[in-house]
Amino acid sequence: MNKTLLMLTTAACITFAGLAGAEDIKVGALMGVTGPLANFIPPILNGAKLAEADVNKGGGLLDGQTMKLVVADSQASAQPSVDAAGKLVNIENVVAIMGALSSGATIAAANAVAIPNGVLQVSPTATAPSMTNLEDNDYVYRIVPSDNYQGKVLARAVLEEGFKKVAITYVNNDYGVGIGNTFKVEYEKLGGVVTKFSKHEDKKNSYRGELATLASSSADALVVIAYAAGSGAKIVKQSLENGFFEKFIGTDGLRDDILIQQIGAEALASSFFTSPSSPSSNAATEAFHARFDETFGGGSDKPFVDQAYDATMLIALAIQQAGSTDRAAVKNALRSVANAPGEIVGPGEWAKARELISAGKDINYEGVSGAHEFDENGDVAGYIGKYIVEGDSYKQTKIFN
Amino acid sequence: MELTGLFFYFVSFLTMAGIYAVICLALNIQWGFGGLFNAGIAGFYAIGAYSAAIITSTAASNNVGGLQQPIFVGMAVAAVIAGLVGWGIARLCVSLKSDYLAMATIGIAEIIRLVIVNEEWLTNGSLGVSNIPRPFEGVFKGQTAEIVFVLFVWIIVLLTYFISQRLHKSPWGRVLRAIRDNEDAAESIGKDTHSFRTQTFVIGAIFMALAGALSAHYFKYFSPDATEPILITFLAWVMLIAGGSGNNKGAIAGALVVWAIWSMTEILTGFLPSEWATRSSYMRMLLIGLFLQFVLQRYRSGLLPERAPKLDKLRRS
Repeated sequence: MNKTLLMLTTAACITFAGLAGAEDIKVGALMGVTGPLANFIPPILNGAKLAEADVNKGGGLLDGQTMKLVVADSQASAQPSVDAAGKLVNIENVVAIMGALSSGATIAAANAVAIPNGVLQVSPTATAPSMTNLEDNDYVYRIVPSDNYQGKVLARAVLEEGFKKVAITYVNNDYGVGIGNTFKVEYEKLGGVVTKFSKHEDKKNSYRGELATLASSSADALVVIAYAAGSGAKIVKQSLENGFFEKFIGTDGLRDDILIQQIGAEALASSFFTSPSSPSSNAATEAFHARFDETFGGGSDKPFVDQAYDATMLIALAIQQAGSTDRAAVKNALRSVANAPGEIVGPGEWAKARELISAGKDINYEGVSGAHEFDENGDVAGYIGKYIVEGDSYKQTKIFN
Repeated sequence: MELTGLFFYFVSFLTMAGIYAVICLALNIQWGFGGLFNAGIAGFYAIGAYSAAIITSTAASNNVGGLQQPIFVGMAVAAVIAGLVGWGIARLCVSLKSDYLAMATIGIAEIIRLVIVNEEWLTNGSLGVSNIPRPFEGVFKGQTAEIVFVLFVWIIVLLTYFISQRLHKSPWGRVLRAIRDNEDAAESIGKDTHSFRTQTFVIGAIFMALAGALSAHYFKYFSPDATEPILITFLAWVMLIAGGSGNNKGAIAGALVVWAIWSMTEILTGFLPSEWATRSSYMRMLLIGLFLQFVLQRYRSGLLPERAPKLDKLRRS
């Protein structure tokens, strides 16, 4: 009897879920709320929520309907991501999906749900090179450059800093392997010497053995491609404690406040970091960050906040441009609102964008995190920023593109 | 709510549940019939997924693969490789008593995972294998393809079920239950327990690999993060215990019910206000735990407990 009760409750819930807010236009946010990326999520989600708020304050979608962000948990893994995306598309009936975050979750959800059901999917963070050649009928996009790109830029940045000999340690997952390999190839091509190239497993307690080997190779600095919360902070800490390395070069995974909290700003003074970033000339970025901190009490410097806002905004603009919630029409409208030519619309300018679209003008969204010109694969070139530690946070000192 | 939406949700639900059902049936052969505590399911699942992926993928990046073989060849190769690996492992470990076997298989699954992550020439490491085709992909497109695929998955489920049911009823199955319940007694009447347990382990491993192959074709992409032990090994065990170990229908029922709990709790927590978005995902994890507690406490021997097949003119075993 209990089983029947359970089934009835679930069935009732499904029905109600569909009835609630039928007037709203729903956009899915596929986020790894629980799981290995949980640390990153709250600020990223706030970025998306700010976009939702901007749209709703600036007149809403289409004829003033409310945009509603529906969050689903991808757990940063393939199976739950496919399941969550299936619910967004079929139960919540979303027009498009913003997400997922990790590449494995993104590609699985795209292949098993978004592409066959014909739903636009824009990932703010998936960086795996294999996404470029996905057979996606033009339904899958991302607004961060592929790892190939960050690896190449990192190589240039390291040489510019005057490091001719570096040792590399990278975490053994898609993120670490992707950036690590492209960095090595590019760095050596530009004349740098990689003294040691080794991968490490995430979440170990001690990396002293690996670090001792890396240190014995007399490198100028250690390139750490890892997440601070996983292995990155431990590697930096143990290197400093044992005198293996003093200078570190990290990517966006390491550029985390946890690192400064655990190591201290002083010890990181000679280190620098790269991370997907925004064009330096974009005044809108600073305004956006100020507005973000005001709304949520801080967090605008966290990774991928800008991208989450832009991805959500692009989806909203595509819906507005399409003039309907028809999924295929929304997909077809995305390039026209994202790419040049067209009148430039920035973050927070939803009302202006609405007017321009209703006047039949072509628009071009230039976001917080870049201009977002999609190529034929749905990839963007993007910008990579160089950061140093200043006080208890990170400061961007240079932009590469 | 549109009915078509609901329908396609059930299609995607049944696809995942069907893949889990195959794993459960396989585990049921090993644990339910043979009493072999395999805690390394994810390892065999991964072997199956990667074998199928490498054999059938249409193009490869920097690993071997892109062999463009038909799906059925991929599944056959997956089964053979998993069978051989399972046989090797069984030769070494199967005579270990249950908890020791569990430890050994955890270790082996971890070895398999590390091989997959590190041998980039073979598996493309953490970057995963892409360009994996789906069955009948050329003929059916879009949502129709989803329906075709769920049918394909459930044909495999039914096939596994009938084979498993046949094994259960056969004299072979009776010997297995005898070994499971009292190994010494079985040996005393001249049964080669080691050989029977090895066979059981190999058959289970083969079906686990088939489930892996199905996942690879479903995602059309396979990377090591899809072999998380918590999502494969742990969940399959919960499904089998909740469904009723020793009962093939129970194994399928367990997969359906537990995956329903796993999947549908998100719909429940979706009602929480959107400010709770991050918290509601954790609430969901709590709910999953509660529901599982409920099912496991309420149905101590599973939703469909084990029933020994009727024997003509013989006492029930």
